[in-house]
Amino acid sequence: MKRFDCLKSLVPILSDEIAVISLGGQIDEWYHLRPSHKNMYIKGMGAVIPFAFGLSVALPHRKIICSDTDGSLLLNMGILATLGNERPKNLIVMILDNECYETIAKHPTHTSKNVDFTEMAKGAGIKNAFTVKTVSEFMDRMKRALTLNELSFIVLKLEPGSQAFPEEERKRSDGIEDKYNFVRYLEDSEGITIFPREVKSIRKIETEHNWDNTKL
Amino acid sequence: MKENAVKLVIESLKEAGVNTIVTLPDSKFKELYPALAADPYFRYIPVTNEGEGVAIAAGVMLGGRGAVMLMENSGLRVAIENLSRLGQTHEIPVFMIMSYIGDIGEKNWWGITHGLNMVSLLQAMHMPYIIVRKNDEVKDAIVRAKRHTAVSKYHVAVVLSGEVTE
Repeated sequence: MKRFDCLKSLVPILSDEIAVISLGGQIDEWYHLRPSHKNMYIKGMGAVIPFAFGLSVALPHRKIICSDTDGSLLLNMGILATLGNERPKNLIVMILDNECYETIAKHPTHTSKNVDFTEMAKGAGIKNAFTVKTVSEFMDRMKRALTLNELSFIVLKLEPGSQAFPEEERKRSDGIEDKYNFVRYLEDSEGITIFPREVKSIRKIETEHNWDNTKL
Repeated sequence: MKENAVKLVIESLKEAGVNTIVTLPDSKFKELYPALAADPYFRYIPVTNEGEGVAIAAGVMLGGRGAVMLMENSGLRVAIENLSRLGQTHEIPVFMIMSYIGDIGEKNWWGITHGLNMVSLLQAMHMPYIIVRKNDEVKDAIVRAKRHTAVSKYHVAVVLSGEVTE
C-alpha cells in the first residue's frame, strides 16, 4: 500500500476537517492533494500528535485529523497514554508507518521488527485502534472514524516511497507562514482572535495639544 | 505551597485568561494540583513528559484557548527540543510556570543543577522569564507573562520560588 494512494482516496471525502501534518514526503503529497489553510504542518518529530490533541481540546466542535509517522510517534510514545486517558472525541490519529526513516536512507524503525503500535494503543486505553494494510481497509476505517464521536487511531502499513512533483508544485511556505495561514483560517472560520491586534494608543491624552507649526 | 499562594496562583491564571492546565507534577506545587483539578473552570491535563506537555499547550493556544504548562524547572531540559521546534521554527508560543528548584538557599544537593541549567537554558533560548519570590508579585507576573506570550509569539516563563512555594 502506497501513502499517496491512501491520501488520494481520503482527500475527496474531507470537508472542514483540520489536518495536522507531520514531516517527510507526506508534506508535498498533502499539499498537492489538499492545498488548504485547514492544513497545519508541524515540523517537529514527537510534537505532532500532542499538538493535534491540544487543538482538539481548544476546538471540541471541530474534527481534527493528525497525520503522523512511525518515527515521530516513536520519539514520544507517552502521548498514547495521555490519549488513552483523555480520549478526545474529535481526534483521528493516522500513523503512516513505512517501517523506516525514509529520508535517512530508509534506516529501519522499531516497527520493522517487533513493535506493534495498534496493540500499544489498545494497551494505553485507546479503544478504536486498528491496523490497515489496503487502501480499501483504510477508507472503511476512515469513513467510520469521520462519523464516530470518539477517538480513533489508525496505523497504515505502507511500503516506502514518495510521489515526485515538479519543483514548482511543491509546498513553498515555511513554518511561520504555515502558522499564520492556519491561524488566519481559524480566526475567520471560528470568529475568534488568536493573536491580539496592535494597540492603537498606549495612553490616552486627557486634553488635546494645539500645535503651533510656526515654532517647529 | 501555602493555601494563600495556591489561591493566588489560581486567581491569577483566571485573570490571565488561562483555562487549560497541562502539567507534569512537581513536589513544590503539590498543593496546587488538587485545587486546579477540582476547579471546574479549568481543563486539567496530566501528561507523561514536559516535551509532550509543551506541544499540547501550543496546540491549545493556537486553537484560541489560554493554556499553561505547569512543571518543575528540570522539565525545561526535557522540553527544549519541542520548544525550539514550536517557538523558533513556527513561532507558536507556550506559556510556562515552573518551580525554581536550585534557587539560592536550596537544601538538596541534587537540585543545584536544576537551577543552574534552568537559567542557562532560558537564556540560550532567548526566552523571557520572571522570577517571583513574593506573593504580592504573583498576579502581576502571571498576567503580564501570559499577555507577553501572545504578543511576542514566543515562549515566556514565570519561575516561582521563595515564599510562593514555601
